[in-house]
Order: sequence, then structure tokens, then C-alpha cells
Amino acid sequence: MLNKLVRWSRIKSPWILHLNSGACNACDIEIVAALTPRFDVERLGVLLKATPRHADVIIASGPVTRQIKDRIVRIYDQVPDPKFVIAVGACAMSGCVYRGAYNIEGGIDQVIPVDVYVPGCPARPDAIIDAVVKLLGKL
Amino acid sequence: MTDVEIVEKLRRDLGPAALEVTNPDRRRIFLKVAPGSLIAAATLLRDSYDCAYLATITGLDKGETFEILYHFASTAANINVRIEVPRAAPHVASLTPVIPGAVLYERELQDMFGLVIDGIPDARPLVLPDGWPAQDHPLRKDWKFQRPAEIIPGGKS
Amino acid sequence: MKFQIPIGPQHPALKEPISLRMTVEGEVIRDADIRLGYNHRGLEKLAEEKNWTQNIYLTERICGICSHSHATCYVQGVEKLMEIMPPRRGLYIRYLVSELERVHSHLLWLGVAGHEAGFDSFFMYTWRDREIVMDLLEIISGNRVHYAMNCLGGVRRDIDEGQKAKILEGVATLRKRSEYYFRIGATEPTFVARIAGVGLLTKEQAVRLCAVGPTARASGITRDVRKEDPYAVYDELEFAVGTSDLCDVLGRVVVRVQELLESYKLIEQMIHKLPDGDIAVKAPRKAKPNEVVSRYEAPRGENMHYIKSNGTEKPERLKVRAPTLANYPATIEMLRNGFIADIPLIFAAIDPCICCAERTVTLVNFHSGEETTVSLSDLRRMADERRTNAPAKRNAVWPF
Repeated sequence: MLNKLVRWSRIKSPWILHLNSGACNACDIEIVAALTPRFDVERLGVLLKATPRHADVIIASGPVTRQIKDRIVRIYDQVPDPKFVIAVGACAMSGCVYRGAYNIEGGIDQVIPVDVYVPGCPARPDAIIDAVVKLLGKL
Repeated sequence: MTDVEIVEKLRRDLGPAALEVTNPDRRRIFLKVAPGSLIAAATLLRDSYDCAYLATITGLDKGETFEILYHFASTAANINVRIEVPRAAPHVASLTPVIPGAVLYERELQDMFGLVIDGIPDARPLVLPDGWPAQDHPLRKDWKFQRPAEIIPGGKS
Repeated sequence: MKFQIPIGPQHPALKEPISLRMTVEGEVIRDADIRLGYNHRGLEKLAEEKNWTQNIYLTERICGICSHSHATCYVQGVEKLMEIMPPRRGLYIRYLVSELERVHSHLLWLGVAGHEAGFDSFFMYTWRDREIVMDLLEIISGNRVHYAMNCLGGVRRDIDEGQKAKILEGVATLRKRSEYYFRIGATEPTFVARIAGVGLLTKEQAVRLCAVGPTARASGITRDVRKEDPYAVYDELEFAVGTSDLCDVLGRVVVRVQELLESYKLIEQMIHKLPDGDIAVKAPRKAKPNEVVSRYEAPRGENMHYIKSNGTEKPERLKVRAPTLANYPATIEMLRNGFIADIPLIFAAIDPCICCAERTVTLVNFHSGEETTVSLSDLRRMADERRTNAPAKRNAVWPF
């Protein structure tokens, strides 16, 4: 019974953590734009949290640089279970234009397991909201 | 001052130290000096030509030598100072006593090309990651990156 | 007792990874150190393997907020190398998009500055207005960010009468709203008291450390690449350069507001003076061996590209110097003798575009050398407390 309650609250109000791993910022401002009055995810219960320990969903953008690889793994470990990862943008999926550069490992899935991929360069805020909704539909 | 006047004045002030002065385009002046007279030229530019602003420092790998360009800018023109150092002995004097804001650009040169800047106040690497091998300098022409094979989760590799 | 506190690569105040190590004594910062490298993507090496046209898309993705600045700076330089001159209509459209980008970037920054100072309603209002600009850019180019309007020799798409009318209408709405908000912002005593006197950078320090953009213009240095080295159409248009003598974060807000209003004027002038004709000329595949220095005034400061060609269809060397890197030594100077609670505000005041140059924040204890982590939500809370307790010292008189 308690499990059902907890599961319901997780689906109705996921708290997100925004992780930028070396991106050009375009996807990040689209993620922040999803909070602003035109798209407004806060009315759906989605809150942007400051620390990994409070979050349910990690929204990650950017190709993974060598320097930040360990930090991403550490942050992923700090998020309590059950956790989900959304990779936003072409850079987070496979590296976009930076594939082949000496400091880039590739997409986010080279470092942590990813549940949802959102294509686009940058991904529109509508697409990001769609991704969160699709993720919740799978739970 | 127009471009022609600046070129004349540079030739007069530096004399034989100015190995080559060109003006390929409007407001762009390229000046070549020997590495030993770099500090003197920079001090002169800062004091008499209103060039206290250094935009950046560019390094070029030309095979046998490294060429380093210092981009100064004033309200009249952009004066770019060029020096060449041999690949076997890549030592350059630091510009920070004259222009303190140059320290980050010199650190980047050390990382990317393996130049040794004498007298730099802070010699740590600037942009390369922590575990980078010290002898690999990415922007040298003979350094090629070998990409390790990528593992695609849940798909064909 | 002095501490060193790390503000790590992931934190909510700055949207990008950067590491700063601050040596603090109590609440006052004694020294700061910046660790770059989290965002280093090896772009200059990658650019040597792609041809001239592919590099337009690569330089665009150096930064999301100032993407058109980098692409235009690059294309300006390459057109000089190839010795082609785009037609006048193409140039006007290209710089029209530049000014729209400047408007969107300054509105974004004002929202972020309001958010860091605790004024969240201001953040929501300015970002709502920013959506008007994003719509205009989407109508002109097809995408909200990364417009890709440039091609070698001109622009990719034309604008018609309906789009011109929409742009003028959008700018008129924005101008009315901007003046209304700034009057509110100027007379809101807690907001002004929070940002006045924070992050001081005197004129001599700014000159010595080679600061650029609104950070330098707020310290009284009147330098703007559009006035001193006018490229393309700026010598035919009338505008003023915004400066301020206040030398602190309030001065930077004032300068950016002035630039916003000047940009509205510039956009209207460009639309009225738009000449007829083609929008692009055909560009050759190879460029003759030569070198060029290209400068451009991005919303954050001066953007400089140095491009060298060797006669083939790939560049020999592309060097990019983004404005935020030039402002780093000035930032360290501003952080000295400031308060920990001011760190997000001082950082936001230089308008960091860390992807153009990157960082993280770490604070380290001065005496004992031990490291403690302070999360940015704590810093934000400290900042809010300081704001509520700050005496309402002065009302700003906005110089327009």
C-alpha cells in the first residue's frame, strides 16, 4: 500500500537534477526555458533540484569530456534509487559534431546507463517535456 | 594615426630590430621581431602606441619552428607581433611583467604546443585533463589522435 | 582561520561545469583559483580536419548563447581569405540576426542576474519576453538556437515583408516592456542594495588585466569593436556605446540595459534601410595561402578568430579566443576581498559563457589546507539572507 503511494508520488512529481557535462549550453538554456512561463513544467510538478541527493531524474546534456567523467559517475552514485537518466541533445546521444576530438569520450551512455534519448541540436523544450512524460509512462 | 603612419613610426622606433613590417589589410599590421627583442617591442607598444590590450596569443606549428603571434589592439589599428623559435629549443620569455593579463594565454600555449615559457608566474596546465600524459601536445602537427572503439549499449558495436 | 572551499563541476548556480577554488578567511575571500578543462572539447584540432563549410557548423557550436557570433566572426575572416564580398542585402540580414542575438542574450543575462540576486519574478518576466525574440529568430531562420544563417558568401535565407513587419512589431513590444521593467528594477531598493558595491574592478585593474565587453565598459573604458573597428554595415548606422563609471555589478546591469535599448534602435534602422538584391555570392572551395585576424563584438565582449590557410580546402590553423576567457583574470581580482555569498553574483556579472572557456569552484582552507564542499544551494541561501538584512543604502539613478 505504501509502495503504491510512493510510486504514485514519484510519477506525479519527479524532481530533476540538471547535469551539464561539457556542453555548448544550447540544450541547457532550453532545459531552463522549460521552466519559464511559456512552457512551465512546474505546473506538472517537476522541480529543479540543486543537489543529486534529492533528485529522481537526471537530465544530462553535453558530450562527456575526459576531465568530467569521474565526476559524472560520482554524481550518478549519489542519486538515490530508483533513478532515471534522460540524455538531451545530439551531443549527449553520441557526441554531435565533436566525435573524434581528443578530449571527448562520446555520449553520456559511455559513462552511465541512459533511459531516454531526446534528439535535436538543441532539443526544443517541447521535446524535453515530451521525454519526461514518456519516461513517466513507462514506470 | 593611419596605417601608413604607424608602419613608418614602427620602422623608425625599432630600427634593425623590426625584421619585417607588413600591412596586408586595413587596420591590420604584422610585425616580425627576433625572440630576444620581444619584451622591448611589447613595452614600446604598450607605452607609445596605446596597445595596453592584448587580445590573445596564437601558436603555429610550422615543422622546423614554432611561430608565436601576439595580437595587440589599439583604437587605431591591430598590431600583431610575430616571433619564431626553433623546435629543438622552444623557450620564450614570458610577457607577464609587461602585460599581466597574458598569463592564461601562455599557460594554454604550454599545454597545447609544449613550449616552455620562462618566468611564467603559474605553470600549471590550463585546459588539458588531469590524467593527460605530459609529453602529448595536441596542437602539434605530428600528434594524431587514435580513437578507441566505442561501445554502443544495446546495439551493434 | 582560512578555508578553501570547492564549488564543484556540478552546481545549480552556473549552468556549466567549472571549478573554482576559493581560499577564504571567515566569510571573506582572500584568493581564488580557476580550474579549466571540464568543457575543453579539442575544437581547434578538430577544425583542421574539416573543410571551410563544415567549420561554420563547428564554430557555431562553440557556444549556444552566442552561436551566431562565433559563426559570423569565422565567416568574416574566411571571406577575406577567399577575397569575396557578400552583397549588401546579405550583410544587412546577417547583422540583423546579430543584433537580435544580442537582445536575446542580454535578456537571458538579466534574468540570470535577477535569479542570483534573489529576484525570481524578474527572472520569469525577462525570460517570457525573451520568447518573443526566440519566435522572431525562428521565423527568420528556422531554429530557436543555432540559427545557421551564415554561408560562405552571404546568408542562407531571405526575409520578406511579412517577417519585417513582425520584427518591427516585436521590437516595439519589447521596448515598451523593457522600459517598464527597468523602471521597476531601478527603484526596487532591495535589488539595488544587493548588487551595488559588489565585484569592484577599477579602471586601472581592468586595463592591466585586459578585460573586455560590458565588464570593462562598466569600469569606464569605452571600447566597442563595432565603433573602433567597424566591420561591414556598422559604419552606416547610428548608435551609442553604453558605459558606466560605477565599476560594480550595478554598473554592468546598467551597461547591458543601455546596450539593449541601442540594439532595438539598430534593428529598426536595419529593417528600414534594408537594400534590395541578392543574398549570397558563390564561394570557391579553396582559399589562397594567407592569414587573417577577425574581430567581432559578441554580447559578452570581443570575439577574436585568427585563421590561417595554406591553399587547400581545410584551414591550417583556427584560433578562437572567446570573451569570457579574457575576463577570467579580472574575475579573480573581483573575487578577492568579496564575500562567499557574493560568488554566484560576481560570476554571473561577467556573463560567463563557460563553454566558451570553462570552470568549477572549489574553496580551500588557507591555513590547514583541508577541503570542504559547500553546495551552491547553501551559497544561494546565504545570499538571500544577506539580501534581506542589507540596509537599503541607495536608490540608483539610471543614466537615461
